[in-house]
Amino acid sequence: MEPYDDEEPPLAIAIDDVVEDKTTPPSLVEQRDNLRPDLPEAQPVGVTVITGYLGAGKSTLVSSILNGQHGKKIAVILNEFGEEIGVERAMINEGEGGALVEEWVELANGCICCTVKHSLVQALEQLIERKERLDHILLETTGLANPAPLASVLWLDDQLESDVRLDSIITVVDAKNLRYQLESNHDSSSFPEAYNQIAFADVVILNKVDLVSSDDSGVALKDLEKDIHNINSLATIIRSVRCQVDLSIILDRRAYDVTHATHLEALLKENRNLSTSDLHDSGVRTLCISEPKEVHLEKARVWIEELLWDKKYGMDVYRCKGILNIGNSDQLHTLQAVREVYEIVPTRKWRNDEDRVNKIVFIGRSLNEEILVNTIKATLCNP
Amino acid sequence: MAGGSDAVENTGLSCVRCGKPAHLQCPKCVQLKLPREDAAFCSQDCFKASWSSHKSVHSGTKPSSPAPENSSERNLGPPNDGWLYCLRKGQSRTPKVPHFDWTGPLRPYPISQKRFVPNHIDQPDWAIDGIPKIEPNSDLQHVVEIKTPEQIKRMRETCRIAREVLDAAARIVRPGITTDEIDAVVHEATISAGGYPSPLNYHFFPKSCCTSVNEIICHGIPDARILEDGDIVNVDVTVYYKGVHADLNETYFVGNVDEASKRLVQCTYECLDKAIAAVKPGVRFREMGEIISRHASMSGFSVVKSYCGHGIGELFHCAPNIPHYAKNKAVGVMKAGQTFTIEPMINSGVWRDRTWPDGWTSVTADGKRSAQFEHTLLVTDTGVEVLSARLPSSPKVFPWASP
Repeated sequence: MEPYDDEEPPLAIAIDDVVEDKTTPPSLVEQRDNLRPDLPEAQPVGVTVITGYLGAGKSTLVSSILNGQHGKKIAVILNEFGEEIGVERAMINEGEGGALVEEWVELANGCICCTVKHSLVQALEQLIERKERLDHILLETTGLANPAPLASVLWLDDQLESDVRLDSIITVVDAKNLRYQLESNHDSSSFPEAYNQIAFADVVILNKVDLVSSDDSGVALKDLEKDIHNINSLATIIRSVRCQVDLSIILDRRAYDVTHATHLEALLKENRNLSTSDLHDSGVRTLCISEPKEVHLEKARVWIEELLWDKKYGMDVYRCKGILNIGNSDQLHTLQAVREVYEIVPTRKWRNDEDRVNKIVFIGRSLNEEILVNTIKATLCNP
Repeated sequence: MAGGSDAVENTGLSCVRCGKPAHLQCPKCVQLKLPREDAAFCSQDCFKASWSSHKSVHSGTKPSSPAPENSSERNLGPPNDGWLYCLRKGQSRTPKVPHFDWTGPLRPYPISQKRFVPNHIDQPDWAIDGIPKIEPNSDLQHVVEIKTPEQIKRMRETCRIAREVLDAAARIVRPGITTDEIDAVVHEATISAGGYPSPLNYHFFPKSCCTSVNEIICHGIPDARILEDGDIVNVDVTVYYKGVHADLNETYFVGNVDEASKRLVQCTYECLDKAIAAVKPGVRFREMGEIISRHASMSGFSVVKSYCGHGIGELFHCAPNIPHYAKNKAVGVMKAGQTFTIEPMINSGVWRDRTWPDGWTSVTADGKRSAQFEHTLLVTDTGVEVLSARLPSSPKVFPWASP
């Protein structure tokens, strides 16, 4: 800063010299670049929802991510107050020593119902805008939360070109207490939390494995994993002690990114039957159906909508992921649903060596395989 | 906008001191990345003359300059007779124009004092303290209500009143009046009919209707700015009467507007028309966005994505959410007995929006114009009934509309 006499004005400079050209105003994408100049084209920031019972180890997980030496700048939103107070506390590992900085995220109170974006999304976008660089956001929920509403709020339409994107839902479960939690909730309609949190998870961190006795050569843990997969056979299970996990497995999972190859390939190659046994009539479980013939896109939409929106046949679908073989199209279509929010989108061309097939995984309660297998036949192009 | 000299390119900025076209700026402001509008000068002389007051911008103590001397604002008298600028969604006021990186030519003007509502008028719960309590906690945020015949009867009546209130506003729109005067007409007409103007104090909104001029997309706050020949202005009215709300809006021409604005407004009108034409039982809510988006892009316009149509009835805003853009994931299909609004906002330029410091006014990110139309609709067994439809008595302000 050059020291000039404050009494006398400096020489005014010509306006054309300045980079910013107001005559062709930048679109907001370019403005975003001005705020985060180190990125050539700012990518949306992934949001991971972390859920799990009190004491399962969520806070430990969050703490180990914040304090880890990974070079990533991560913001953690601690969902302590809920929306009544209108603010959330965020901790961000900024600065060179990875020092933790506390920030307040203000939720916009307002016309919640004629705005498309929930106030939480707007608050996260504002946080991203304020920060020069943010690599990821963790949203830690309270212990008993059902992650489904949060997922619907965060799973934005691509059209909104938001700075925020839902990356995955991670549930931390306590290996020592899981069996008890599942059994005490086995009439899962009255206390569904344990089942919900596993059913909606993309990743389940099976924590405190050191507390489960090891003298049965790991059978107990394998049984737990089987129980978890019985509820949700799509979830990736990671065993951990004190929630020490490899960050690269948790972040950037892109579980809601239709173009992300890994999930598609896994689903296509999956030969073993993903359907799980029905432990109890009202239990939450996974069902996978397969149908080789082409389906009609519009009829497939109606079929899914009747299941998700009308709860036809009494089935309660929590999550749905699938590949569709749509008639009159060379594109593989992907189906994704969380509760009632769903989308079917063309994803990529079928490869010549691929067997075209419909493969759909349902996670939910009161699922009926026979009905699903029969009713999808009504959507076939050539029945 | 002042026409620039032929020799030098028009920067679009005016000298802070004298209002003439500016081609010079304060280097300190550039260094500090302060708003360009406050740093623009036509000459070193004007810069030098303003220096003693201008330099306090650098330390953040000076408010930005008010509108230039040939002000397009009513002479409010010192000290503005209580007219102040709105901040924090209406929870506070300030005598100074707030700082903002304004996207277009428009600026906020001071707003008038809160209007009075007589006690005999039935008021929604936010009228008292600005905070809706019933609405956010209602099941109707998740489930789309099927209205009973009795509710439908009330909605028809309230929609009729709301239509007449909007028509009253339309009749006074002309160059030379302020948006505050439009608000006064809306307020009085609503009260006279025995209704409450729903926007008033809704999440602290300070006025009885929204007036959105030119680049304002929606939620513009009526203020002291005088409408100019060539402006377009949207007036959005919601009336609460007999326990139900009715919501509608129209965009009007102020005097003679340019061809581009006429095309924009007509296209927006048609977008709503086409969407309504598709409403009937069994149609997906998400289809509205496809129809609107298709028609808008055919004319080269874009669709605002931040605000959507909404269910309405005993609540001001409830399920369903109806986005106006294509490829949205809106949940549900239409059923007879549902009532909701469709209210496309269409922009000349980009679709992105930004919000002013008042916390309400939504403007286009590029400062280009935006238009909107809205109706409250009822799904019938065979199609749709436009509850807020124009009446034979409605003023003929749209050249393309059938009388």
